[in-house]
Amino acid sequence: MPERNMIQAINVTLDQLLAEDARVMVFGEDVGKNGGVFRATEHLQDRHGEPRVFDTPLAESGIIGMAIGMAVGGLLPIAEIQFMGFLYPGLDQLMSHAGRLSARSQGQVKVPLVVRVPFGGGIRAPEQHADSIEALLVHAPGLKVVVPSTPYDAKGLLTAAVDDPDPVVVMEPIRLYRLGRQEVPDERYTVPIGTARVARPGSDLTVITWGNMVAVALDAAEALAAAGEVSVEVLDLRSLYPLDREAIGAAVSKTGRAVVLHEAPMTGGLGGEVVAAIQEVAFWSLQAPVERVAGPDVPYPPYAWEDFYLPNRARLTQAIRRTLKD
Amino acid sequence: MAMTYLEAVRETLRQEMRRDSRIIIYGEDVGVRGGVFRATEGLQAEFGEDRVMDSPLAESAIVGTAIGAAINGLRPVPEIQFADFIFPAVNQIIQEAARIRYRSNGTFGVPLVIRAPYGGGIHGALYHSQSIEAFFAHVPGLKVVMPATPYDVKGLLASSIEDEDPVLFLEHKGAYRSIRGEVPDERYLIPLGEADVKRTGTDVSIISWGMTVNSSLKAAEALAKQNISVEVLDLRTIRPLDTEAILATAKKTGKVLVVHEDNLTGGFGGEVSALIAEHALFDLDAPIRRLAGPDVPAMPYAPSLEHAFLVTPEKIEAAAKELALF
Repeated sequence: MPERNMIQAINVTLDQLLAEDARVMVFGEDVGKNGGVFRATEHLQDRHGEPRVFDTPLAESGIIGMAIGMAVGGLLPIAEIQFMGFLYPGLDQLMSHAGRLSARSQGQVKVPLVVRVPFGGGIRAPEQHADSIEALLVHAPGLKVVVPSTPYDAKGLLTAAVDDPDPVVVMEPIRLYRLGRQEVPDERYTVPIGTARVARPGSDLTVITWGNMVAVALDAAEALAAAGEVSVEVLDLRSLYPLDREAIGAAVSKTGRAVVLHEAPMTGGLGGEVVAAIQEVAFWSLQAPVERVAGPDVPYPPYAWEDFYLPNRARLTQAIRRTLKD
Repeated sequence: MAMTYLEAVRETLRQEMRRDSRIIIYGEDVGVRGGVFRATEGLQAEFGEDRVMDSPLAESAIVGTAIGAAINGLRPVPEIQFADFIFPAVNQIIQEAARIRYRSNGTFGVPLVIRAPYGGGIHGALYHSQSIEAFFAHVPGLKVVMPATPYDVKGLLASSIEDEDPVLFLEHKGAYRSIRGEVPDERYLIPLGEADVKRTGTDVSIISWGMTVNSSLKAAEALAKQNISVEVLDLRTIRPLDTEAILATAKKTGKVLVVHEDNLTGGFGGEVSALIAEHALFDLDAPIRRLAGPDVPAMPYAPSLEHAFLVTPEKIEAAAKELALF
């Protein structure tokens, strides 16, 4: 089985999806001729032609608005928004229209739309190129939101998103695009939307996280295990909506202690929802308060300060130790 | 004197405009017509077309021009006709208004107040009934104010206009004509970031904001007749958040019901629940409960379905009673 990094996995998956179904269309800013700023769509225009893989104007509301029309009209559009910080102009189309058409039409109109969005920091990008706004998307009923943290899941979730009859946002953690390689099968497979993954089993405490922060959590867990200090389980949510409350409940019930980790600012972030869900599904198992480790409540900083902003192994380790003491 | 919630909005705008000639008002139909809800009725006649004017139906332009006006020394108080229409302006609000102080290292502020009627119960159906606070409570640099009573409308709106940073002022349209209360003639300020105990009690705490505070008070009244003593904490502003007041009431009663009209998942109730879970877990006698709107894409139009969506006094009473007997 070939080893691939995440960006390669996404590239071959898009290639495969375009090849297997003539309704699939891939488009966005610089995705055609240039192959995408992160190379996710490299060579796809050469292979599948310009009508199916094409460049759009720099107009996110236009990209998503057009994609809605294409999806309603019978195509399977996969739109790319170049950076998550650019998604705001397209949010009205996504949340007020794409997410609602099915309910508005009593299920008669479906919007099988996929929006791929690179997100998150850690790559020394300028302002507005490092945002994580999953909390906004998760709060908009009608949208599904998935976040792979491995090459394997990137392929399986993207394929599942294209198969899904409703709009799905696939958030792609930029910092993990090239961070690691993994065996990714050539054949088609899906990872079911709505299922979390135990990224590392453990017995003393559960770190619940997603996206870029899965790597931070695994790093901290390995270090704590190597020092013989504590056994940390890492739960990678993978789907943020629908949220796998069963897996959250099972993981927290098992260890009795949890830390929730995300890179978006703390207040109003999705971590609040996860902690609230823990209260509702595993209250009687808790042996300590659940702590959140997250970005501070400031706009994403210029990159010289990025390392102060992003949660890291040291901050997570401190939170884990505090939670174990209670 | 006694007045409605809507009259409190209008009279405060009038008083503030008389006090400060930098204040300008604009939005869709706010001038000649006086606003679809009549919140600005008579203001154009009193202050002239230069200070109270109609805008095009373009929310991004309304907020975008207001940012420029605010930076250049005016005190714009634009209206977004229905909160549901705010999403075309979300890029201006989140990426520009909220970030300019941070981006300019404190050199520029954006003293802007965006008024937006939110919420359901008036047969507004899709696009005229949404609660939007959770999307903006996650945004560093922004303040989010949600008064429940005419008295609080006046003090909070005056404080919002005096604030040097952007404020989102959310008025519940169901409250406009149904909620009355005493409002002093003289000018007064209620600090942003201070919650208010609207009713003291000992058995259960209800934490809410906006219109559902009024529904919670009705429920508390009904429960008092059943010898259940309910405390009602009105957050009044959800960003900045009065964490101390939240923890104080949670520790006092040990049983917390968080109530909001907005849909549950990713709603601001998650943040409130998470704060209590992190800082007051061992004071709790029962799991924190959230009562909120369902995760469906929009408020239905049919009266029976709209009623089913809304968090009514009866539903709050049942949930609080269950918690009291836990």
